[in-house]
Amino acid sequence: MKPFINASGLVHEYSRRDEEGNVTGINRALDGVDIEVIAGSFIAVLGANGSGKSTFAKHLNALLVPTEGTLYVDGMDTSEPDNSLLIRRTAGMVFQNPDNQIISNVVEEDVGFGPENLGVPPEEIWQRVEESLKNVGMYEYRKDSPNHLSGGQKQRVAIAGIMAMKPKCIILDEPTAMLDPAGRKAVIKTARDLNKKENITIILITHYMEEVTGADYVYVMSEGKVKMQGTPRQVFARSEELVKYRLSIPEVTKIALGLSKKGINIPKDILYVEELADILLKLKAKSF
Amino acid sequence: MVIFMIRDITIGQYYASDSVIHKLDPRVKVVCTFAYIISLFCFSQLSGYIIAVLFFWGITKLSKVPFKFIVRGIKPILFMLVFTAMLNLFWTSGGNVLIKIGIITITEEGVKRTVFMALRLIFLIVGSSIMTLTTTPNQLTDAIEKLLKPLNKLKVPVHEIAMMMSIALRFIPILVEETDKIMKAQLARGADFESGNVFQRIKSMVPIIIPLFVSAARRASDLALAMDARCYNGGEGRTRMKPLKYNGQDIAAYLIMALYITVIIITGRYLPL
Repeated sequence: MKPFINASGLVHEYSRRDEEGNVTGINRALDGVDIEVIAGSFIAVLGANGSGKSTFAKHLNALLVPTEGTLYVDGMDTSEPDNSLLIRRTAGMVFQNPDNQIISNVVEEDVGFGPENLGVPPEEIWQRVEESLKNVGMYEYRKDSPNHLSGGQKQRVAIAGIMAMKPKCIILDEPTAMLDPAGRKAVIKTARDLNKKENITIILITHYMEEVTGADYVYVMSEGKVKMQGTPRQVFARSEELVKYRLSIPEVTKIALGLSKKGINIPKDILYVEELADILLKLKAKSF
Repeated sequence: MVIFMIRDITIGQYYASDSVIHKLDPRVKVVCTFAYIISLFCFSQLSGYIIAVLFFWGITKLSKVPFKFIVRGIKPILFMLVFTAMLNLFWTSGGNVLIKIGIITITEEGVKRTVFMALRLIFLIVGSSIMTLTTTPNQLTDAIEKLLKPLNKLKVPVHEIAMMMSIALRFIPILVEETDKIMKAQLARGADFESGNVFQRIKSMVPIIIPLFVSAARRASDLALAMDARCYNGGEGRTRMKPLKYNGQDIAAYLIMALYITVIIITGRYLPL
């Protein structure tokens, strides 16, 4: 099967300039990244600050173009300027700051902004707005001002705004970094639901480990390179490495690891609280 | 304090409701608001004011916007209001002298002018408030864009200007909140905005203004990226979710407005009081 997104040998360099505009140094934000994403999957890209994960996200949307290497989104080369509009239609992007990506003062008008830009006829815009707001569970707020919503709600509106453009893929660039735990949960749940029900490819860029447990595949980035990849279980089992990349494993996995170090017979790749509880209960039953 | 006054300005604060006024075409509201403001200067006798007030009262009732939302718009101009009222009160001569203390003389004519001037100013503000309260900023800029469209032929970037206006309106409350946050942060670090003379106070604003500008620039760059990501490509080839179309009630509104203007002009011309 042909991958939906195919990055090979992706390099991106930022040049630092002095006041006269002379190049004084070069920052390599991406350094030979190879990532493949199958259509319809839920992918997570993990990394600490400065790991290059956000730079990578901006490439997926043709907001940045590779310095070296190639990136194909749905068969389109992102370095081709003529493709950028089509790419942005195919792969929508949700950014970190909920306030800075909402354009309108009314929720429904903001969701309609994308389709308006695409030249969709008004009746269909309304239909899409309704559908996507229902999809993210924000339909009853359609007449409200975004200023009255919580961060998590704003972020869901932003997701609806992307959904209304009918993309095949949504890139979430640290969508939860500025949210409280409740908002974080709601946003991640929304993304997962869209992946399951609407079969939309989701690429979640984050540094919260708890958020990636439901992903199909995880890439860990550090210093512009992909350092680890695999299913969440495979990645979390290598906790020592994760710590090296300034990432921490979920609390549950930490507890399981601690217990196994103490000599208790417990698997190292536990992701969910319920899972750990189950195993501990079984152990308890056995020991009595 | 300046900052706290900004928050009270009702411009850009939409009051959601489904009244007749809300449903009118925004172009009607823009044109009628202008007509209403101009009409305030077409008469100078009591009967004219009564008609203008009654008309405004009727519109307010129809709009279902609570009275206190409309009045809120007056607060920031209170100082200006009092100031012009004072000027009018003390500097108008003519008519019977009512009070004379030293150099201060208050005449009947002065009182009349003061009251009327103040009323004009108040209705100018609340009149435009009712428009911004019943029209979303986006509709408003849509209306302005449509109304100014002929200027496109003169190479005026009407769409871009309208877009900038609507974004500015959207960010007013966000930046106000941010200003508040920065102020509190600076106060917590021992900044003093209250004491000293005017120059010192202006100087003490610098630690607020600079972080605010920096953050506004960052927001602008973020927003530009977000708009790019949502395929914004200027006005060309764009459709509208809520296209502007006149219908029966809009024409009725224009007719009512025309009637009002006629009545105002007639009273201004022929009624003695």
